[in-house]
Amino acid sequence: MPARLISIFAPLAVGILFLLLWQGICYFWHIPPYLMPAPSDIARSLFSNIDTLGHALYSTLTVTLAALCVSVVLGVLVAFVLVQHPLIERSLMPYVVLMQVTPVVALAPLIIILVKTTLLALVICATLIAIFPIISNTLQGLKSVDPGLEAFFRMHKASRLKTLLRLQIPSALPMFMAGLQISSGLALVGAVVAEFVAGTGGNSAGLAYEILQAGFQMDIPRMFAALFMITLTGLALYMATSSIRKLVLHNRVEH
Amino acid sequence: MQETVISIQSAEKTFPNGVQGLAPITLDIHPKERIGLIGPSGCGKSTLLKLIANLHQPSSGYLTWWNKGFAEVGKENRRLSFVFQEPTLMPWSTVRKNVRLPLDLEGISPDVSAPRVQQALEIVSLAHAADRFPAQLSGGMKMRVSIARALVTRPNLLLMDEPFGALDELTRNRLDEDIATLCAKDDLTLLFVTHSLYEAAFLSTRVMVMAAHPGRIFAEYEIDPSIPRNEEFRLSDTFATICQDLSKLLIQASQSSLLAEVA
Repeated sequence: MPARLISIFAPLAVGILFLLLWQGICYFWHIPPYLMPAPSDIARSLFSNIDTLGHALYSTLTVTLAALCVSVVLGVLVAFVLVQHPLIERSLMPYVVLMQVTPVVALAPLIIILVKTTLLALVICATLIAIFPIISNTLQGLKSVDPGLEAFFRMHKASRLKTLLRLQIPSALPMFMAGLQISSGLALVGAVVAEFVAGTGGNSAGLAYEILQAGFQMDIPRMFAALFMITLTGLALYMATSSIRKLVLHNRVEH
Repeated sequence: MQETVISIQSAEKTFPNGVQGLAPITLDIHPKERIGLIGPSGCGKSTLLKLIANLHQPSSGYLTWWNKGFAEVGKENRRLSFVFQEPTLMPWSTVRKNVRLPLDLEGISPDVSAPRVQQALEIVSLAHAADRFPAQLSGGMKMRVSIARALVTRPNLLLMDEPFGALDELTRNRLDEDIATLCAKDDLTLLFVTHSLYEAAFLSTRVMVMAAHPGRIFAEYEIDPSIPRNEEFRLSDTFATICQDLSKLLIQASQSSLLAEVA
């Protein structure tokens, strides 16, 4: 499949070219590593700090995945409640939006003060950021039922439960999956933001903490190495949710 | 009193925006009749069909189904099926599961429903595609799945809302012949909305020509039910005459609609 190979190798080539250019610029202009480290410096730092960085990655990933799971469970539950009656949606939706428009960065210090366990506080912060796409997409999905099929179910006197299980949930699935994909990225953003605010987080020090520490020590290559790991995590999450989405929805695309 | 499948007693429909979709209509539909509804757009063909399907409630007047209320519909010998303009299939389910849906909703176990689903698929010659998904089918095949889904409940009354409008002439003709064969074989009453007067002429035993502003029945045209509906009929002079007559009535109905709109 040449088209598939091209879609893998073309961006890879661009990436390699970019790194080479970066390396070249740093080398020829003798840019010191504390201003802009070359890719080789970053790689070296990554390997020499792999233990601490790996531990930090584990910690960040824990928060991210926990927040994503909580977002899915709570978000879907909220969407189901909202869709039950237009009055419920109208009364509660403004508060869902309110939660979304309040910057969590501003809220995070409060949460970290109020919640004793650091891990729990971090998960709450990340969940607050990640949950909105799940709620809004699932809600839209539940409401996007084909009116013809809805009429068909009504005509056949289908119960509320049967309509939910056989019509509403499958109809909502594509939009839910799109929401999940957005949320997976946001959960990581939330986890990193919360870690920044939490700062010295004791034994649950994530990648953001590593960036802060490296900044204090002017260890810029290590800062980049941590950043690189965050980006890689985001990419992995995106690819994982994308695969899940394709797996779940593969029958619905035109062949 | 002659038995009626549907009896419409001065049923009228005014929409919430104040537009009268349908002036009071009184109409009796008898068993084994095949009624085609034609008319210019906005004449209330679909509205009338939806009243009969109980998807709309009349603003005044009332309807009976087999001389009873709608609550009795769905029981033995009082089964109603509806074929929509669009195939309205569940994209996440196979053809087989789509066809089985009405039986599932009735709570019939898969063991019992399997042979009936198979039979319905054979009627529309789609048994080979049972395990495919709607996205893998052509427009005509999707519509045939939709018809199989309507037939699987073994309906006594089949309602169709411009079912083949989006299909090409040849596919449409073939499906019309299938429907005609089905109606001849089973004790099936048919009521359908169409834009094609050829389709109305081919399938119907009675054609209702409707006019707009407000929606009303403008004329009725009877076609001998004993004529077999096949390719031969489509090429006959009788068919040509029927089409001419219907065409004239349709033009008169359009003019009447326009006059009513101006007035």
